[in-house]
Parts: sequence; C-alpha cells; structure tokens
Amino acid sequence: MDKQKWEGRLIDYIDGRADATERAAIENELLHSEAVRNLYNQLTEVIGAMNEARVLEPSGKLKANFEQALQEEIESQARPTKTVFFSPVVYRVAAGFVLLMVGLAIGFKINQNNVEADRLVEIERKIEENRKVMLAMMDNQLSASQRMIGVSVAYEIEKPDDEIVNVLVKTMNEDVNTNVRLAALDALGKFSNEEQVRNELIGSLKTQKDPVVQIALIQLLVKMKEKGVLNQLEKITRDAGTLKAVKDEAHAGILKLS
Amino acid sequence: MKKVLVLVCVWLAVQTAFAQEFKVAKSTGRLELNIGRVTVEGHSGNEIIFSSRDHRESKDERAQGLRPINGMGLDDNTGLGINVTQKGEIVEVNQLKKMNAPDIKVLVPKGVIVSFSHQSQYGGKVTFKNMENEIEVSATYNSIELENVTGPLAIKSVYGHIEASLSGNIKGPISIVSVYDYVDVALSPATKANLKLSTSYGEIFVGPEFNIEIEKQGNWVQYSEKVNGKLNGGGLSIDIRADYGKIYLRKK
Repeated sequence: MDKQKWEGRLIDYIDGRADATERAAIENELLHSEAVRNLYNQLTEVIGAMNEARVLEPSGKLKANFEQALQEEIESQARPTKTVFFSPVVYRVAAGFVLLMVGLAIGFKINQNNVEADRLVEIERKIEENRKVMLAMMDNQLSASQRMIGVSVAYEIEKPDDEIVNVLVKTMNEDVNTNVRLAALDALGKFSNEEQVRNELIGSLKTQKDPVVQIALIQLLVKMKEKGVLNQLEKITRDAGTLKAVKDEAHAGILKLS
Repeated sequence: MKKVLVLVCVWLAVQTAFAQEFKVAKSTGRLELNIGRVTVEGHSGNEIIFSSRDHRESKDERAQGLRPINGMGLDDNTGLGINVTQKGEIVEVNQLKKMNAPDIKVLVPKGVIVSFSHQSQYGGKVTFKNMENEIEVSATYNSIELENVTGPLAIKSVYGHIEASLSGNIKGPISIVSVYDYVDVALSPATKANLKLSTSYGEIFVGPEFNIEIEKQGNWVQYSEKVNGKLNGGGLSIDIRADYGKIYLRKK
C-alpha cells in the first residue's frame, strides 16, 4: 500500500472533498483492507483532535482584553518590530498538539510492529522445532503411539507445508496401524480446504482397505460435500469384499451427497 | 541314594513336561503377538515368559517321533503350540494351528511395546492386565479387555467389544475403536484430557462425575453423534469411537 497516497486520499475523504466515485472506491477499500482501515482510524482521530483544537477559540472578552493589552503594549513600546497575531498562536498550539499526537501514534505503532515481529520469529522457531520432532516421531517404526503423537502435533499446525502434508498422506495410506492411519486422516481433515489435501483424500478412498478408516474417510468426504466421490461410493456398495458397515456408510453417503 | 537320583530326574522331567514355559530375555523392543487368544500381564522381570493355559490333550500316539509342520514354515519351538522368533528389536509370536488357537499367557517386562494382531474369526478373548506398557491391538473378531493399564493404547476391533480400565499415571495417546460392538472405558474423573467420542448409530453414556467442556461444532451439519471436549482443562488425547456400538465412559 502506498501510505502517503492513501493519507492524501483519506484526508480528502474525511474532509468531504472527495467526489462520488472516489468516495465509493475508498469505502470499498475500507471494507476490504485492514491497513487502510487502520490508517483511516488514525487520521480520523488526528483530524478530530485538530477540529477540537480549533473549537478552542477564546471568549470575546478574553480576546478584547488581550487586544487591549496588545494595543497598550504596542503604544508603550516605541519599536513595533515584533508583531504577534492572535490566531496563529492558536494554530501553532494546535499544530504542536497534533504533532505530539502523531508522534505518539507512530511511536506506538513502531513499537507494536517490533513486538509482533519478535513474536513471529519466536512462533516460526517453535514451528520449525515442532516440525522436526514431529517428522522424527512419525518415523518411529516400533511405537504406534509415538507416530500418533507426531500426527497430533501436525494437527496443531495452522497451515501445513508440502512436506508435512506428504508425510500425513503417506501415514494415512500406508501406516501399519489403524489408529495411526485414523489420526492422520483426522489431521488431514482439518486441512481439507487445501486443494492438494482434498485431492489426496479423494484418492485415498480407492486405496483404503481397512473398514475403520474407510468409514471415517467416507464420513469426512460427505462432510466436505465432495460430490466427486459418488462413483467411488457406488463401487464400494457393489464390492463383495467390503465390510457391510462400510457399504452402509457408502449408501448413506450417496444419499447425503446426491 | 540311587533312588533319590532317579526321583530327582523324574521330577525334573515332569517339571519340564508340564510347567510349559518358554522364556526370551528381553526388556525393551517390541513383542508382536499374531495369535488367536492370549492373556498378557506385566511383570517386573527382564524376560518375556510364555506359558500355556491349555489342559494337556491326551498324547497322540501316532504322532510319536514326528513333528508338526505348517504352511508358514514355522516350527513349534516352544512346546506351547506357538513359534517365537526374534528379529532384532522385534519378538514375533505366531500360532501353528490355523483354527484352534492355544490359550497362551505371556508375562512381559515394562519396557516392551506389546502388539496384538489377529484377523481370522477363529480366536478368543484377549486380555491385558496390570501393564504400564504401550499396547497396540489390531483385531477383527476378538474382544479386547484391558484391566489396570496406563496406556498408551491404540486398540481396534471390528466386531469385538473393547473394555479398558485405566489407572495409575495414564499416558496418551489413547485411541480405541470398535465398528460393531461397545467400547467401555473407565478412568479417573480427575484425568486431564482432550476427549473425542464418536458414534454413527450408537449412543454415548458418560458418568456424572465427568465434567466435560464440550466444543461447539462450528457450522458443520452433524449427521453422527460426535462429542469433542476437554476434561479438566485438557491434556492427553483420548479418542473413542464405536460406529454401531455404544460408548460408555465411567468413573474408575
């Protein structure tokens, strides 16, 4: 985002100097961009503060007194070299105030950015650590529970990278232990919005032979409203070698999807 | 004196013939039981000890001097009707008869991961008792009973029921699945856990002592009964599923 350009546009908008098309464009941006929204909020605050400062016009009496005093001063002093007008002083005070506000706001923002950057680095480090531990655990051939813990670490990750997805898919399709395959399926289900994961889940329906995993997989695909598996579900209902519970689930899935 | 010696010899012979024990020195690694039924108990020794609980069948006179063989090329190297083979970290146990599963009891040291796997319908009940070991079960027809175990557990049976009574210092993850029969789990209500209970056509029963904070299930349309929640603020993962059976979660 070009911050200066936006500042100009937003100030015009707030002061009501923007035309109709410009107003619409800005309102649209305000809805969709958080950065613009933040800037807008800051500017309204600053401009609000300026407007408030403008309101601080001194009363007429004070003004009269002051001008009288000023006149006296001017008369008493023979050399009128320094001319001080009233209104600029108010403006200067206001400008000073506004500068202070802007300074504070910028300082706060910078500080916040730093804290956030530190936190991001920390989170990234932790994720990397978790990832290594997770991948090592998922490779433990002796202990199913270690592999399961590995999978459950993957479950905690917000957005998995390709390597993690691949390992999870491999675990779901090939692990010797049913409970581990189920846990991997569960984790992948959480990422089913990702195109790759979705395709892998659809593909897995053909290869799974374990009824416990088949049932869970059909339930998940139905939950994802994945109509692309209707043919495969039909096939399952006709396959003589498939457990009745799986066929029932496939029938139920066909009814829900079509 | 001679008489005494003869007596001792006879006693020893009888002992070996009837005590029927087979020991493997192993206190780590993994024990894979591919047999139809078994009772596994934890013990504090350093050996895996197999024994038979079958009443001795009358001796087959015709088989005298012959040895049983089977299609898997396995020998009865234990005298118990099972073959025990060590492959590196893994001790593999297979039964020799296809249908009549011998009734085997196994004592296992704490550090050994125990895995039971049996898919044929010619089997029986599988019991695990007093164990701190990690237990894996992959069964089709067997019913599984776990008494006084701590986990971790990865238990699956398609047709059999599963009963688990967890005690002591429970270790996760605990994952228990039966497709057609019930799953009955007893544990302390003070356990800190992330609970997932799900059934498609069954029901879920939970003891009043359990205080589960149930997570709301977002916008998904729920077709099946599924409860995700935290027990005492969350902790180890406990995952219980019975598609057609009921789930019971009771106080230990």
